[in-house]
Amino acid sequence: MSRHLAWFFWVIAMLALSAPLQALTYEVGGCKTGAGYVNFTTISAAVIGVPAGSTIEVCPGVYSEQVTITQPLTLKGIAFNNASRAVITINDPTGAPLAPNVTSLTTGQPFYAQVLVHNVNPAGPVNLTGITVDGSGGSTGECSIVSAGLAGIFYAPGTSGTVDEVTARNQVNDGCGFGVWVENADATSETITIKNSSVHDVGGLGVAIAALSLTPSTLTSTISGNFLSNAGFIGIEGDASGTIAGNVLTSSGTGETGIFAEAAGLTVSANTAASWYEGIRISLASTVESNKLSNVGTAITFFPDAVVPVKSNTAMNVGCGFDFLSGSITGAISGNVLNDAANAFANWLGSSISGNSLYNVDTIQPTVASCP
Amino acid sequence: MYKHRILLLLMAATMIASRPAQAKSYEVGGCNPSLPEFPTIQMAVSSVPPESTILVCPGTYFEQVIISQPLTLKGADINNLDRPVIAAPPNGLAINVTSITGAQVAAQVLVENVTPPGNVVLTGITVDGSLAEVPLSCPPAALAGIFYASGSSGTINDMTTRDQKLASCGYGIWLENGAGPNQTITVENNSVHDMSSAGILAQSNQTPPTLTATIQGNFVNSLNYNQTTDIEVFGILGAITGNVVTGGLVGITNAGTDASPVTISENAVAGISIGVGMSFGDGSKVTSNKISNVYTAFFFGGSGVSPGPTVTANTTQNTTYVINYNCIPNVTVKSNTFNDSEFGFLQIPPENSGLGVNAIDNIDTVQTSSCP
Repeated sequence: MSRHLAWFFWVIAMLALSAPLQALTYEVGGCKTGAGYVNFTTISAAVIGVPAGSTIEVCPGVYSEQVTITQPLTLKGIAFNNASRAVITINDPTGAPLAPNVTSLTTGQPFYAQVLVHNVNPAGPVNLTGITVDGSGGSTGECSIVSAGLAGIFYAPGTSGTVDEVTARNQVNDGCGFGVWVENADATSETITIKNSSVHDVGGLGVAIAALSLTPSTLTSTISGNFLSNAGFIGIEGDASGTIAGNVLTSSGTGETGIFAEAAGLTVSANTAASWYEGIRISLASTVESNKLSNVGTAITFFPDAVVPVKSNTAMNVGCGFDFLSGSITGAISGNVLNDAANAFANWLGSSISGNSLYNVDTIQPTVASCP
Repeated sequence: MYKHRILLLLMAATMIASRPAQAKSYEVGGCNPSLPEFPTIQMAVSSVPPESTILVCPGTYFEQVIISQPLTLKGADINNLDRPVIAAPPNGLAINVTSITGAQVAAQVLVENVTPPGNVVLTGITVDGSLAEVPLSCPPAALAGIFYASGSSGTINDMTTRDQKLASCGYGIWLENGAGPNQTITVENNSVHDMSSAGILAQSNQTPPTLTATIQGNFVNSLNYNQTTDIEVFGILGAITGNVVTGGLVGITNAGTDASPVTISENAVAGISIGVGMSFGDGSKVTSNKISNVYTAFFFGGSGVSPGPTVTANTTQNTTYVINYNCIPNVTVKSNTFNDSEFGFLQIPPENSGLGVNAIDNIDTVQTSSCP
């Protein structure tokens, strides 16, 4: 009995001790209040005010803020009262204009990022989930290839984390709009995952999802299960190692390239791309396989001297199946299925390519072909 | 040694005896001089022994083809060319079949009254309706690229059907069965695009259904023309799996009777007004589809008998409405992921909210307009 009593007191003592250490819930928007909640009125105040590693719950509503995150945390949209969209927008009711807040170290281009993750200290992941970032009305002034870009979400060098179930939309900016931009130019390797997110209606010269590093790549990005439409000049730009897998990319017809693979150690697999000028463009990748490409001008375009095996892809309703731009490539092209194409292997100067299944192809291997 | 010689003689005798029953090959178009040649596809399909294989050389065949015996019609490649095209004859198409719906159909390739019973296999050929003229207006007339009429079975694979555009009555592939023995048809890996009504239609007017169709791995696209429905099944059994469906008004629809359950799985549906429409077809399973950039992802109709359709493990993104229950009871919606929608659930029957059993992110208004 006395031993039981001692045990009982010990448990009580432990509970009392641990009470002050109980995790508080950090919340923005006022939908959850009372004991256990710490409320913030803006996301910007929350991401600065919470301890490192915290989770911040964001209530449904509109948040006109430019958010800069510099410590590891999770920013999470929650549902309340029949609504489940927490949206970060451009138009600040106080009239503060969107400001340039980061320069890309991979392109040298200044950016106006709506949600910027940089200089994260202490080191640790920054996770975004269930949030919408809407770029409607956002402008950086002039739009040309080297001018400033508008980015919905920007992970700067030295940062890592996961973007999951996020929506990035309407980063138009006269064409220079980017949905999600992640990059690393540091020597220290970083890992960023972008998954299950909806990215649509970005600028016609922009990129819906871009992952960039220098050579050799110090960024490992996983871009998977995302849905893109009306997704800019390039849907997904993979200039970093990692994977681009299981994404669905549809354009309303103005998009140039669905997926641009341009890094060693990059696998592009099981993506579905429709209604692009070209489905996949490759300069460098470790493998491109099992993608489904349809209603595209060219299914797969190879930069001259591209290095990549291309296998088990299916392409239908295309102008050209594979366009080699009169260059040579290194890597097997095998097990692909091509149905309904004007040209199969276009602008290819090498010996005939075998080991693929071709159906309904007007010309199998034209040395000179106009690929739409 | 003696026993071996007997065995050898026996084998030789068996081979000689079996030779007359072996399927023979024939060709149309003159690209394979080693095979008996026919000048037209129609002459070949009418003249060869049942179960023969007919190779069709690259070129354009201005014919309306009727097949009424089991055989394989297969596109061949030669000299860098790989597209045999069946195109409408310059003097127009004839109405050659009356559908179980009463429609007067001009079918470019018609399979009917197959005797002896057996499979008709079509592979690697393009059926082009762009120049089709039909001697009746729509309705009651309709134009079909490929039509499998009552009492026919087989496989349609690696075909292309395109530009069947008779007013609003153009169909790429049309399968049907009325009273009589159950028929089984597989439609796989085809490119179907630019129809004015449905890309692929499969229907039966019998209860229980007399048609089992497997529709898989097809690419159906109508961005260049307002195809009403990409894949439409009505009162049949079977599966619609792994198709890529883009453009048009309705992506995949299952209608007909209460006793026509169909599995709709692993399709990618994008750029459409209604992604998957289910009216009747109770007991159907809608699972693991990816639906994006649509106005309404799921729409239900029908009598609402139990068990109704089950919608699980699908992902929708970038929609205006996720589910319009249309006040239909007994619809089960669970374990799906819905991201980025203006509205979640519309016209919700009292017992089915869809809440709490699906992952929901970035939805402005989760529930709207309940039913009495």
